[in-house]
Amino acid sequence: MSLYDELGGAAAIDAAVDIFYRKVLADDRVSEFFDTTDMEAQHAKQKAFLTVALGGPNNYTGKDMREAHKHMNLNEGHFNAVAEDLIATLEELNVPQAKIDEVIAVVATTKNDVLNL
Amino acid sequence: MADIIFEGRVYTCQPGESVLDALIRQGCEIASGCRAGVCQACVLLMDEQEIARGCQQGLSPAQQKLNHFFACQCRPDATVHVRRPANAGGRVSGILRCREQVAPDIYRLYVSAQMDYQPGQYVTIFKDQTTGRSYSLASHPEESSSGERLLELHIKQHESGALSPWLCHDLQPGESVSLLGPMGNCIYSANPQQPLLLAGIGTGLAPLLGVLKDALHHQHQASINVLVGATEPSGLYCTEQLLGLAAAHANLQVEFLIQNNRNNQALDPATREADIYQYCAENFPDLKGYGVYLCGAESFVGKMRKQCFLGGAAMADISTDAFIVFG
Repeated sequence: MSLYDELGGAAAIDAAVDIFYRKVLADDRVSEFFDTTDMEAQHAKQKAFLTVALGGPNNYTGKDMREAHKHMNLNEGHFNAVAEDLIATLEELNVPQAKIDEVIAVVATTKNDVLNL
Repeated sequence: MADIIFEGRVYTCQPGESVLDALIRQGCEIASGCRAGVCQACVLLMDEQEIARGCQQGLSPAQQKLNHFFACQCRPDATVHVRRPANAGGRVSGILRCREQVAPDIYRLYVSAQMDYQPGQYVTIFKDQTTGRSYSLASHPEESSSGERLLELHIKQHESGALSPWLCHDLQPGESVSLLGPMGNCIYSANPQQPLLLAGIGTGLAPLLGVLKDALHHQHQASINVLVGATEPSGLYCTEQLLGLAAAHANLQVEFLIQNNRNNQALDPATREADIYQYCAENFPDLKGYGVYLCGAESFVGKMRKQCFLGGAAMADISTDAFIVFG
């Protein structure tokens, strides 16, 4: 069973993504990248990211991830900041540490695409 | 095999094939992303409510009410009628019935037209074949005047605007106008037990009134707080109508906020000088569980949406109608 299903599937992700998006918006290290006029679209992207990270239904190939972050000049600090916000989100949802480690392992696989390495 | 009628043309859909795949296979340009019912890139709208219901997980209550659905998740076994949400409405002809000036640069127009809409949605009005601007509806479909259903619009006049001087002065009662619509997601879709915060500035009051009328029409149970902002006292309008509604409904509270009362005009008890962002933050510090409606200038809606979201409102429970000035 994926963590996605364990947390309660699609409905639970809707709640989790709100917590996560609030954290990145409040995080001075990365908020500028998330603070757009189209918050709904940005929110949908964060939800897609969380769904992949938690092992929910997705068709993630990395191509879109790479394309979307291409011109943003992101560095490892930005990537780690978002990962920390995700960890804090999962802790708030009382996800056990072992499961959080699993999620972070999945997120780590997206690093090269996000940073266009 | 099911057919998909997409914006007036017939396409086939093979057994087990999604609406998205079927349309793309036959040459339609439909945006797509995750193909997992998450990213909302491929969201379309269909007439068949029952079929749409099965493919709406993750959409906002307003989108669900408007029969939006994930094209990537929908595998129909019966014929469906599908459109892009932006092409939701059709073009109809209306007649201007009356017009009144309600503030120095704001006019209220009543237009007779046959259109099914949800209060708070908007229409585009055309002056000629190509010149159109969008305006939100303040009316409720259940309202009628002498047996006629009228669309109520609040138009802010822009001196060199493409449409507003014509709508506010040149177009005469009895003359016809071309309308396209309805469009927009800012509609009453809350749970009756959910407290509501409705905030708007300027003619953002129009969609806000529409939403408010519909909430009252559906006998909304929880509290409803309406905040109406204006730069100065003369910019407020429809105040008596709103105060009348508040007097008739115990759960409704209406407040008017003036950004700058520089001439020190006497303000009535429901009106105060206050910054709407600050007032909202101080009086509604915790918006968890609220249904929030924000209408008016794009800058106001953007700033307020962020504030309300950080204040605890769920993203899916924040509905907005942002006005963009095109000139």
